[in-house]
Amino acid sequence: MSERAQRRKGGGGREARRAARIEAKVPTVPYITRNVPCYEVMGEEGLAVIEAQAETILQEIGVEFRDDAEALQLWKEAGADIDGERVRFPKGLCKQLVQANAPREYTQHARNPERSVQIGGKHMVLVPAYGPPFVRSLDDGRRYANIEDFRNFVKLAYLSPYLHHSGGTVCEPVDLPVNKRHFDMVYAHMRYSDKPFMGSVTTPERAQDSVEMTKILFGEEFIQQNTVMTSLINANSPLVWDATMLGALKVYARNNQACVVSPFCIAGAMSPVTVAATCAQLYAEALSGMAFAQLVKPGAPVVFGTFASSMSMQSGAPTFGTPEPQLVLYVIGALARRLGVPFRSGGGLCGSKIPDAQAAYEASNTLQHAMLAGVNFMLHTAGWLEGGLAMGYEKFIMDADQAGMLHAFLKGVDLSENGLALDAIREVGPGAHFLGCAHTQENFESAFFRSTVADNNSFEQWEVDGSLDHAQRANKLWKQMLKSYEPPPLDPGVDEALQEFITRRKAEFPDSNV
Amino acid sequence: MSNEELHEEEELDLASLPDDELVQQMHDDLYDGLKEEIEEGTHILLERGWGPVKVMNEALVAGMTIVGIDFRDGILFVPEVLLAANAMKGGMAILRPLLAATGAPPVGTAVIGTVKGDIHDIGKNLVTMMWEGAGMEVFDLGINNPVENYLEALEKHKPDILGMSALLTTTMPYMKVVVEELDKRGIRDNYIVLVGGAPLNEEFGKAVGADAYCRDAAVAVETAKELIAARRAASVEQPIAVAA
Ligand code: B1M
Repeated sequence: MSERAQRRKGGGGREARRAARIEAKVPTVPYITRNVPCYEVMGEEGLAVIEAQAETILQEIGVEFRDDAEALQLWKEAGADIDGERVRFPKGLCKQLVQANAPREYTQHARNPERSVQIGGKHMVLVPAYGPPFVRSLDDGRRYANIEDFRNFVKLAYLSPYLHHSGGTVCEPVDLPVNKRHFDMVYAHMRYSDKPFMGSVTTPERAQDSVEMTKILFGEEFIQQNTVMTSLINANSPLVWDATMLGALKVYARNNQACVVSPFCIAGAMSPVTVAATCAQLYAEALSGMAFAQLVKPGAPVVFGTFASSMSMQSGAPTFGTPEPQLVLYVIGALARRLGVPFRSGGGLCGSKIPDAQAAYEASNTLQHAMLAGVNFMLHTAGWLEGGLAMGYEKFIMDADQAGMLHAFLKGVDLSENGLALDAIREVGPGAHFLGCAHTQENFESAFFRSTVADNNSFEQWEVDGSLDHAQRANKLWKQMLKSYEPPPLDPGVDEALQEFITRRKAEFPDSNV
Repeated sequence: MSNEELHEEEELDLASLPDDELVQQMHDDLYDGLKEEIEEGTHILLERGWGPVKVMNEALVAGMTIVGIDFRDGILFVPEVLLAANAMKGGMAILRPLLAATGAPPVGTAVIGTVKGDIHDIGKNLVTMMWEGAGMEVFDLGINNPVENYLEALEKHKPDILGMSALLTTTMPYMKVVVEELDKRGIRDNYIVLVGGAPLNEEFGKAVGADAYCRDAAVAVETAKELIAARRAASVEQPIAVAA
């Protein structure tokens, strides 16, 4: 057979290839399993020094568990020293509780089993940004977020192949009453996506409502046996756990649902200005929180979270993508692996107000370091602007694109026969090019990461295309995505039951904004 | 001369400086956050027969104005301003009873706190620091304050200003609860209500019924000064209000 005939056989002509490459279905790119080792900035000796200081903090200074008598009682029974609300821990107690009980990794189930994720170990799960009260787009500028924005970001995360998770408070729908908005938020994740998601933490009752809704979606038995939510519990550094966060943590732990136990720290204000001290304090705080979850329910999945940023000492504002917090990130990553629990950090963090060069530099600084440091659960991967005050439509697209690069990098170097491609080098020999050789023909489509946002065309072509900058191209993309969005199928009976639950609960108490 | 010797000599010399040099030195000491030196300088000026208003304005407020300018320009850092504000607080503590006795209007007093359900306090602490730096007396109620705490503090301290901070969209509506409660009790107009926190904006400040939204600590100082001055001017025009 001639070469042409051979190629024709596998071809199918223009229609087939166009169809294959402009595939309409939402592609599933599995969560990352890394083939590249984690980078560490200090060896065992250094980590042991940090740990020793953390143990001293826990024993001598202690941690406050505020407005939660039950927490104090549990600690007392576990052998800690209780002084008012201050809990001091015998050396090694917290570590032992965590190591004896908390899983090294766990599966967070999605309603579509294809999209379930493995959190911990060699895996990395990418999650949208969390918490912003404002949204920003090129069209509207900056404004308060509403439930429509919330749904839009759930849809965009669903449509983004490199995001494995639907996130939690992708933005805060301030148009809805404070005491009821969690119903609409959790429902949006359930209805408009089939990826895993996070539950409400702003009061224990809202955490319980989130659990009740997952019972409807997954079945009561299923959720008692399996983890279907991973929710965010922040420490109030330095060395305080408040009743809101403890209350939500208890609800989730009791129901076998995972908590990201996160000291969220602006060094300078919330911890000392030095890296080693910050690491020791964060480790102490996280250990006390994760150990507490084990007292509530032995075996409850926990993630060692950190959110490290530094403070502008000239204004008090938090800063992002700067070098010192990256060092913290590496040290905490190593401590989490050493302890044997999954690790959360990173994200497309930045202080910029708009999707500009500052936003891009700072975000990629954090994303790349988080990738190398071995983050398992990367909250804030996409959308973050303005220190978390705004969720950016264009920024979301830019970050989700970067997320794709992390996948490609962490595949590592393929040393197989195909990876080594000696035949290709033989075939082409000196002085020729590789574009047509058999190996290139077989591999070109997936060989290199392709950005959907970057423009690498000639100057003239770029000009013909409208001289658009990065953010303007991203603007076109999110609009196209939302236009093409189709919801994943959801059993109508389940949907009805969810809506019925929400309607009933909302009717049980009056709307309130406090 | 070594630095230490220089320092020691200056400390010893404070009382021997003529007025203008002492005031100059106090501006430097405020800048350097030296609380004890400021307290000493304040006493010396008073002993020399300076009135408390003059000490406050020429030695302290003028010195802190320089601190404020250099903070704004990025020359001074937050921890330095904190020390300067603390030194100012020391000087003002000495002057305050004397100022009251002369009947001169105090620079201003404020009650501030983070609202119920919210534990964010870094920004509120900066505002407190800057207000104290401007010579105001500030009563900081800390975090997670229900309306009762504000009412109690207003009753006790009778401040010019009620300041509220919130960083969560789930807690910022609570500011309205507080303002409405003041309204209900007919005491809303007794206070200047200022609000702040990153997720707020001008519009939100208006919606909760505050007198102003302050985007940062420096603006909180300017706004406080302006509104206190305006209120005092207004009460001078209406002597009955003063009598009441
Ligand atoms: C007259 O009165 C005045 C006048 C001016 C006033 C004023 C009062 N108050 C402030 N100002 C003004 O002057 C100050 C100085 O210039 C300025 O103050 P700021 O406070 O704005 O600025 C400070 C100097 C520095 N800025 C800050 O200190 C706030 C920074 C961010 C990153 C932040 C921090 C640090 C924290 N947090 Co929280 N936190 C965020 C914040 C995001 C952001 N970029 O703002 C925000 C506000 N937090 C958020 C969230 C969600 C949460 N936080 C939580 C916890 C925390 C920490 C404890 C970890 C920590 C607070 C520590 C502390 N001691 O304050 C949780 C809530 C805890 C609780 N029970 O309240 C939790 C719910 C997270 C969770 N799931 O666990 C988001 C809120 C969004 C929303 N949807 O409402 C958030 C935008 C970040 C995010 N994207 O998630 C001005 O605003």
